[in-house]
Amino acid sequence: MSTQRIDPLVQVETTCRALLNELQIIWEEVGETDADRDEMLLELERECVEVYRRKVDQANHSKAHIRQTIADSEAELAAICSAMGERPVHIRQSDQNIGSLKEELRKMLSQVEEMKKRKEERRNHFIDVLDQIEMIINEINGSTESVSSETVVDETDLSLMRLEELHRQLHELLKEKSNRLKQVQDHLNTLNSLCSVMGMDFKLTATEVHPSLGDSEGSRSISNNTLEQLGTEINKLREVKIQRMERLQDLATTMLELWNLMDTPIEEQQKFQNVTCNVAASEHEITEPNTLSDDFINYVEEEVSRLEDLKSSKMKEIILKKRAELKEISTKTHLIPDTQLEDAIEAIDSGVIDAATILEQIELQIAKVKEEAFSRKEILEKVEKWLAACEEESWLEEYNRDENRYNAGRGTHLTLKRAEKARSLVNKLPGRVEALTSKIMAWEEERGTEFLYDGTPVLSMLEDYANLREEKEQERRRLRDQKRLQGQLIAEQEVLYGAKQSPPKPQSAKKGSKQCTGVPSTKKVALGGPMLQAHKLDSVNSPRISQTRSNKKTEFMLQNDAIPASPAFKRGQDIADAPFRKHPSNGINTNEIESPLKTIPTNDPSNNTMTPLKTISSVDEENRKPKAMHSTASVQMQTDITPPPTLQTSLVEETHEEMEQSFEEKRLALMHSDKQIPSMIQV
Amino acid sequence: MTSAQPPAPGRELSNPPTDGISNLRFSNHSDHLLVSSWDKTVRLYDASADSLRGEFMHGGPVLDCCFHDDSSGFSASADNTVRRIVFSHGKEDILGRHDAPVRCIEYSYAAGQVITGSWDKTLKCWDPRGASGQERTLVGTYPQPERVYSLSLVGNRLVVATAGRQVNVYDLRNMSQPEQRRESSLKYQTRCVRCYPNGTGYALSSVEGRVAMEFFDLSEASQAKKYAFKCHRKSEAGRDIVYPVNAIAFHPVYGTFATGGCDGFVNVWDGNNKKRLYQYSKYPTSIAALSFSRDGRLLAVASSYTFEEGEKP
Repeated sequence: MSTQRIDPLVQVETTCRALLNELQIIWEEVGETDADRDEMLLELERECVEVYRRKVDQANHSKAHIRQTIADSEAELAAICSAMGERPVHIRQSDQNIGSLKEELRKMLSQVEEMKKRKEERRNHFIDVLDQIEMIINEINGSTESVSSETVVDETDLSLMRLEELHRQLHELLKEKSNRLKQVQDHLNTLNSLCSVMGMDFKLTATEVHPSLGDSEGSRSISNNTLEQLGTEINKLREVKIQRMERLQDLATTMLELWNLMDTPIEEQQKFQNVTCNVAASEHEITEPNTLSDDFINYVEEEVSRLEDLKSSKMKEIILKKRAELKEISTKTHLIPDTQLEDAIEAIDSGVIDAATILEQIELQIAKVKEEAFSRKEILEKVEKWLAACEEESWLEEYNRDENRYNAGRGTHLTLKRAEKARSLVNKLPGRVEALTSKIMAWEEERGTEFLYDGTPVLSMLEDYANLREEKEQERRRLRDQKRLQGQLIAEQEVLYGAKQSPPKPQSAKKGSKQCTGVPSTKKVALGGPMLQAHKLDSVNSPRISQTRSNKKTEFMLQNDAIPASPAFKRGQDIADAPFRKHPSNGINTNEIESPLKTIPTNDPSNNTMTPLKTISSVDEENRKPKAMHSTASVQMQTDITPPPTLQTSLVEETHEEMEQSFEEKRLALMHSDKQIPSMIQV
Repeated sequence: MTSAQPPAPGRELSNPPTDGISNLRFSNHSDHLLVSSWDKTVRLYDASADSLRGEFMHGGPVLDCCFHDDSSGFSASADNTVRRIVFSHGKEDILGRHDAPVRCIEYSYAAGQVITGSWDKTLKCWDPRGASGQERTLVGTYPQPERVYSLSLVGNRLVVATAGRQVNVYDLRNMSQPEQRRESSLKYQTRCVRCYPNGTGYALSSVEGRVAMEFFDLSEASQAKKYAFKCHRKSEAGRDIVYPVNAIAFHPVYGTFATGGCDGFVNVWDGNNKKRLYQYSKYPTSIAALSFSRDGRLLAVASSYTFEEGEKP
């Protein structure tokens, strides 16, 4: 160094010297005084000293400055270090300071620079963290302000500890953020499922809550507000879901009921399987998309209302059917149907009255009518029979007035048969009427109401009929009495004047028909017993039974289609072998015989009992042309006193064609004939 | 013979007669059954126990029998005799005679008399309390229009059905003449007559598969109730084969009645409702007689050929 210094210095010195020399020269030239020279040299010296002094001051200053700077730097360093929480790396090593100040300064500066850099770094870190923290906090708070560009950092504390702290904070915040994000995601998922179940637009709903939520990609708001809103939205939607679910379930149950009621086919039911399977589900079990959408629910509702319409129309059908049934039953039993119910049925369409109640009413009515019909059945049958009999009666009267009724022609035998039946019916009528009357009265008493037949009380009908009959009876009696008197007159005349022809009988057109019997009361006298019974048994009247004697020889006539099983029938009848279809000729025969019997009033006991002998005689007189068998019949008529022939004779007569025998008699006879004669005597 | 409780099948009694059965009767006091037969015996059975308690020989086929009480009974025989049989002693004595086979016999509790009908065309009443011998026992003889075929008693009424389809109704208290003289409503020979237990009328059956239900009361109202119905017939090729209805028996309690015919069937009828209640399964041959026990629990059915078709092997 010094060498180096020397050089310039030497140079300068030389220069100075040169200058001085020069100066001297000059002076010399100039001739300056030595005083002046000295002065000038002094000045020069003084100026030089000044300059030197200045320079030295400067140098001192700079040295002080440097020292100051060093100190400053130190201080700065210390500050930085303390701010950063580190011990200063470089403590002042004044003792080790061999080097010059400038060196020191340099070092110091570099250290300071370093520290500054580090501080800056640290500070950046802090800023970073703080920024992040702030961001997150902002997110959480939901504030939309962006992170301030100037984050305030606490310069005083840039220590690592604090940084750690801040990092921790950040970490937690990050956690919180992630939690919230998860929450949001969960909520969104729930929302999504709810929306899908209910057919709502998820994106729309989500963005309604917060615009960022609709975006599946971008960051989502995690603010408290958002979360809250999400929560409420979810709850709201859930409630809506529950509501809809309940509605749907109601509809489903209704549908099930209606299906049950109307026996809907399986195919139809399958369409709504997804609805009915959820009928008892709870809220969280319903997760299929669109199962609770408005459209779907409406669809189901429509179906339900369609089914209900179907049900009501079916009910109407049923009601109409029942009404028809009711009418039928009513008309069958000749009851007048209830008009009140009819009106009610008409009112169904107007909707005033409920179909179900009407159905109930109809059912009740039907049951009532059925019960009534049942109780009326028996009587009704009798009434109908009676009505039929009345018709037959009037037909018969017509028929009797018909002059040509015995003309042989097509179907005559049928009308004759009908007349037969009609007569027997007519004879049974009074008894029937009485029985019917008593039955009806009993019924009316029991039920407390009149017995109506198509609206008219039957009892009055019967009464009218009875009165009519009574009148007719009286008419007939009158006529009969008249005839009797006439007959008596004639008889008396005959006694006086001899036999006369039988007086014309106004009622019987054919004389021939009177051949066999003629007279009302003792018809049986002339005829063989069974001949009288040619008609059906049922019409037998008491007066005829009261006095009859049949003869021994009885004639059996096949009046019906029966074929006898035993040979007993073969005896004693001429017509036995005739095939039954020969009926008509026989029938006509018998009916011919019969008609006078019947047409002449049979209900006249007085005639029979009072004057039996007289009538017998008139029979004989009237019946001028009896058939052969009947003449024997009249001979055989018995009285009470004649002793009967012995059994012996009857046994002997067994071969007689007309002998009636019971099976026991026949058997005994056989036994005895087997045993030969002694057994007969034995008796 | 079988006793029947519907619908259970009947029980055949052992030791039946060796020839056809003419009639059988239940006692009014017990389940003893008296059976008269063409093998000339009258047998006494205990129906419930199915045991033969007595057998009484007669001089000829026995045509009818009846109980007096549980210790004695009466029989009507084809040898013209009317006998009294004392079961306990196994003895029988002749109460009286007719001039021809005695066809029917009844005992009237009301009158205390035995009533017999015979083919000698008479009805005779006997007093069994007297000593035997016709002079003491015969109460009266009442001529009939024809041979007596069937008899039935109820209370004080007696119904006599004879040949020629005549029917006489007597009041036992005045036998001098019939209360009513009627003719059978049926056209064919009368086979059997039975009075209703309630005494209002009688049922009459004929050989032509028909039964007539008649009433004693001659008023119009009562006579309107009478009717006849066909029964014991078989339908074949459009025609009916008719069988004689040999027996009628009335149930003492219900008033329903059973009829037995030569077709081998027993039908039970409800006369008021005019319906057949049931028909028992076919018997091997004709039904000869029917009888209900006194409580109506048992029905005795006699099935034997009744000679409706003459001689048969």
